[in-house]
Amino acid sequence: MSDQATAMEQTSAGTVIVEARGVSRNFPQRQGLFGEKRDVWALRKIDIDIRRGEALGVVGESGCGKSTLGRLLLALDDPTEGTVTFEGQALNEMRGAPLRALRQRMQMIFQDPFGSLDPRRSIGAQIADGLRNHQTVPPAEINAEVARLMDLVGLDPVTATRRPHEFSGGQRQRIAVARALAPRPDFIVADEPVSALDVSIAAQIVNLLADLRDDLNLAMLFISHDLHVVRHLSSRLVVMYLGRIVEEGPTEAIFAAPRHPYTRALLSATPSVRRPAGYRGAILEGELPSPADPPSGCAFRTRCPLAVAACAGAVPELEDIGDKRRVACIRHADMVAP
Amino acid sequence: MTRAQRSLTLWLAVALILVAFPIAAPILPLQSTVAIDIPGRFDGPSAEHWLGQDELGRDVLSRIIWGARASLIVAFGSAFFAAVIGTILGLVGGYFRGLAEILAVRSTEIIICLPPLLLALLVITILGAGIDTLIMALTILFVPKYTRVVYAATLQTGALDFVTAQESMGTHPMRILARTVLPNIFPPLLVQFSLTVASGILLESGLSFLGLGVVPPAPSWGLMIRAARAALDVQPLLLLWPSLALAGTVLLLNVICDRLQEVITPRTAERGGAAWLRRQLGLTKPEPVADDTPLLAIRDLSVAVSTERGTIGLTDTVGFTLKPGETMALVGESGSGKTLTGLATTGLLPNALKITNGSALFRDCSGTVLDLAKLTEDQFRPLRGNDISMVFQDASASLNPVHRIGDQLAEVIAEHRKLPRAEIDTLVVDLLRRVGIPDPEQRRRAYPFELSGGQRQRAMIAMAIANSPRLLIADEPTTALDPTIQAQILRLLDGLKDENRDMGMIFVTHNLAVVKEIADTVSVMYAGEVVEQGSVAEIFERPRHPYTAALLASVPESESTRLESIPGTVPRAGEMPEGCRFAPRCKHAADICASVDGLQTLADGRRTACIRWETVT
Amino acid sequence: MLRYIAFRVLIALVLVWLVSTLVFLVLHLVPGDPAELLLASGNTAPDPEAVAALREQMGLNRPIYEQYLTFLWDLLHLDFGTSLRDGASIGPELALRLPRTLELIVAASIIAALIGVPLGTLAAMRAGGIADKITSASASLALSTPVFVVGTAAILVFAQWLGWVSAGGYVPFAEDPVRHIKLLLMPACTIALGLSAVLMRMTRASVLEVLERDYVRTARAKGVSRRRIIWRHVVRTALVPVVTILGLEMGTLIGSTVLIEYVFNWPGISGYLVRAVEARDYPEVVGIVLIISFIFVFLNLLVDITYALLDPRVKLAK
Repeated sequence: MSDQATAMEQTSAGTVIVEARGVSRNFPQRQGLFGEKRDVWALRKIDIDIRRGEALGVVGESGCGKSTLGRLLLALDDPTEGTVTFEGQALNEMRGAPLRALRQRMQMIFQDPFGSLDPRRSIGAQIADGLRNHQTVPPAEINAEVARLMDLVGLDPVTATRRPHEFSGGQRQRIAVARALAPRPDFIVADEPVSALDVSIAAQIVNLLADLRDDLNLAMLFISHDLHVVRHLSSRLVVMYLGRIVEEGPTEAIFAAPRHPYTRALLSATPSVRRPAGYRGAILEGELPSPADPPSGCAFRTRCPLAVAACAGAVPELEDIGDKRRVACIRHADMVAP
Repeated sequence: MTRAQRSLTLWLAVALILVAFPIAAPILPLQSTVAIDIPGRFDGPSAEHWLGQDELGRDVLSRIIWGARASLIVAFGSAFFAAVIGTILGLVGGYFRGLAEILAVRSTEIIICLPPLLLALLVITILGAGIDTLIMALTILFVPKYTRVVYAATLQTGALDFVTAQESMGTHPMRILARTVLPNIFPPLLVQFSLTVASGILLESGLSFLGLGVVPPAPSWGLMIRAARAALDVQPLLLLWPSLALAGTVLLLNVICDRLQEVITPRTAERGGAAWLRRQLGLTKPEPVADDTPLLAIRDLSVAVSTERGTIGLTDTVGFTLKPGETMALVGESGSGKTLTGLATTGLLPNALKITNGSALFRDCSGTVLDLAKLTEDQFRPLRGNDISMVFQDASASLNPVHRIGDQLAEVIAEHRKLPRAEIDTLVVDLLRRVGIPDPEQRRRAYPFELSGGQRQRAMIAMAIANSPRLLIADEPTTALDPTIQAQILRLLDGLKDENRDMGMIFVTHNLAVVKEIADTVSVMYAGEVVEQGSVAEIFERPRHPYTAALLASVPESESTRLESIPGTVPRAGEMPEGCRFAPRCKHAADICASVDGLQTLADGRRTACIRWETVT
Repeated sequence: MLRYIAFRVLIALVLVWLVSTLVFLVLHLVPGDPAELLLASGNTAPDPEAVAALREQMGLNRPIYEQYLTFLWDLLHLDFGTSLRDGASIGPELALRLPRTLELIVAASIIAALIGVPLGTLAAMRAGGIADKITSASASLALSTPVFVVGTAAILVFAQWLGWVSAGGYVPFAEDPVRHIKLLLMPACTIALGLSAVLMRMTRASVLEVLERDYVRTARAKGVSRRRIIWRHVVRTALVPVVTILGLEMGTLIGSTVLIEYVFNWPGISGYLVRAVEARDYPEVVGIVLIISFIFVFLNLLVDITYALLDPRVKLAK
């Protein structure tokens, strides 16, 4: 890590850069031609903060709303309710040129390394797009800057003139990282950036992202369905189920003692090389309820081993349980006992 | 240049040469198109009139060439104007959606509700016949076609990540349309253009044939055919020339369009169709092999792909054995050849892939040992779904979308067991219940799309176990599923093994953690070869190959924040290094690694392909 | 399923209304005075008296919304207006000729399906082989030759040279069923030729694609017999996109029918239409265009319903 970066970290590390307050997103669906519109909430009342130099991990299974959250934080989509602010500016009030100018400071890395690059243009040109859009560097220095960025993510700058199809999945993901870094953003959303990669290659990318976060003091939202991957990058974790945050807190604390039954189920369901061979943990029965027709009260109660009659009542609030942890379960106290 | 590109260039050149004639018509030494020569009526070809004379004694050749001008002006003119208007409407409608979509796209679709010829006739009634009217009428007609194509392509392209990437980079929407979306929708646009030109020529000639297009005495192919029709018994050649010109032009355009599509989306059709579709004559029983393998013994199995540049090996001398009741994991990263090995064992390799070497000895339920690598499709059929069955990774693609799951399940039972329908129905419900599908009496009537991902995989598994197979090959059966559902499916497979203790299972996966939960033994594959074999407990405890060790270390589970990663990438097929294929990425590689090859059996029965295993592991 | 059909019928009705509106508007969308446009020929200005008379006759003097409402009201009562030339009502003439046109369309579609689908399947299964090359080349040729050329050539060969059939004409079925069918056969086959080529190519492409699908591999992995895989898993599924394409081809089919009726002197709607356009009798043309468009919308409705029968995903996904 360079001295400069260290100095920067000391001055600005820990300041909140992105903030979501009460964010909900509804995708209404019509039943038939004249049917009623039915609310389908992809996200419900999400509050999160993301700080500089931190990669906030977001974990959940498909349909939990984690990708929608990523898009909302980047103003690629507007929340139905609530606000997202970037350094105090409300994103949903911005449009047109000011918003495009602000986009310099927030970038995205996608899951599919094949779909996220334009097959028809050289990778150098695609990395340079971000530089040109925001005049990050003078036009004469664009080539040098592209070379620097490629070098930074571990690619040979000589290959800048090639098209994406000449690269492997892992290399493409490096290109995508370089493209995201080009406008010198402060905030990056990485949506399942290693899910499509082989283990040994995924490890390379996870390490690269960790280095960049530290060296550039980036704020990051790291979305994944794999708890183990998140653990390596994020010191703070958010667990989502059916559009809501069910648990939040320091990663290691959650791993050591999950306080929401869903988090615990997810942990035991995720296979591990460290368990004894033939290990069988507790298994969650049933499947994810339809977001168009969620259960009353706690959305997880239909699959929850701890569910009691009261769970069908009100939707449990995210409750502060100390140690910077929050959990949305009325029986979280029962999770402490072995 | 590929073959398709060469062919396209060739046909384009032919088209250019042919188009040169009508373009150059004013300067060519042609006879007048209107000079009437009554004595020469219906005369056949002569030195002066190469193609003969028409009903008024006019020169047919010059009327054909000048007639081409009318066709081409109308066709290219309308195709061009329609392309410009349609592209703009489609782009705007597809990219901005909402109101723009309704105004630009939906409104033009009303035009499609009118049959093309009729709309043209309507415009002609209002404006009167003539070339200008034709161009205008055809433009109106073609606009919705372009709008539709461009709109669909824009929607498709707009949903791609690289367009979102541009958006999140703050690129101006107009710039995204011009630089990112437009180049990607250009190919379908080009195809549509050549299609509309052909269609324009056909419509122009058809209208002229009806006497409602080009106004006489101006020459047009349609008019010439109209006139020839009245004189069929006098001079049939008058029908031949314009018909040839017309059909030839349209044929040429269609050929160019086909070649264009081949260039844009190259597809390799196997010569004479897929091999499995061929019926074999003189069906013989497969030769039994004298061998004492209890269930399955793969020996030196190699699979290769035949390409234009020759045969490229994909897997090389893969070998393992499987005992009844045993579960072996075939683990490796993408490109390791694990899936191919599974498919080769069931004879389901894709068309271009062939087994080039080795054997796969299998003891079937009657106790006969067969070499699966040598079976023909017809010899294989009684075994598949019966003795050997497979579960595939993507259940939503692997189930037929138009048949109910109960019927698809009944099919595999009916194919191998002659049972009355009612009995099969009972079995179907039983099987669905066994794999944990709730309410099986109702659910068997569901179509695959009505089931969740986990339930589809359960249905897939039900098909695989329907006839109590001796060997089950599961190819990444849980990879597409969420963790909690994956755990359910793994538990289900586990339970099935307990129910049928003779069933051997090959579990193909890239996930080491899953291996540890489900398998007894493991074969680790890298770049088409098995690099290490042994029991799960031993291999995870103490890997004897640097690749296995590195793979285990790169699993994101250690407490350290920094992950171990393997530098570099898997070598591509056809570019395999000499000797040990892992050597270029191996931190323990030495000179000796480049010269040796092969799996060696260690004292404890484990096998490794690493020559330096004693020093490095 | 019933819900789906009701929904499609509703859409078809909306389309009928939209098409009628479009046809009504075409005359008014073209710049210039409609009456003058209809009477203009070449560069000579039309006679002002004739223009005034036409305006009166077509009711062009009234406000446009009134014209539109009258137009819709008449349509609702199946009143297609009167001819400008002889003041005769258009409806009865249409009612007489329409069934003959429909007969031709239906016969041609059946012949085309019977030829196109099996040939396309065969070509796909032997892709790249000789059978495929021959059928594909024939289809290209059939697609490239305009239908009126094929019709005229057929008259030349089968009527004039071989003398098998007469050059064209029509006899009502009730009068002489055998001769009726003999006369029907040649025009129907001519129309079917182009359509069968389209169907053959579509079926071939679709079958080729389905053969690559994972569920065909699943069927093989289940040990299902070859014949059953081809019919139950491949052709059955491959027909779904073919049916949608068929809907798009209906327009071309109707165009071919108009041309072929003219070639073979089949007294369907075509002769009526051509005479009307020649005389620039606008109300007549509008009446005929509308009725054919309604048939077109109806045929597409049938296609949509067939599509839903073939693909269970359609009727449930709104």
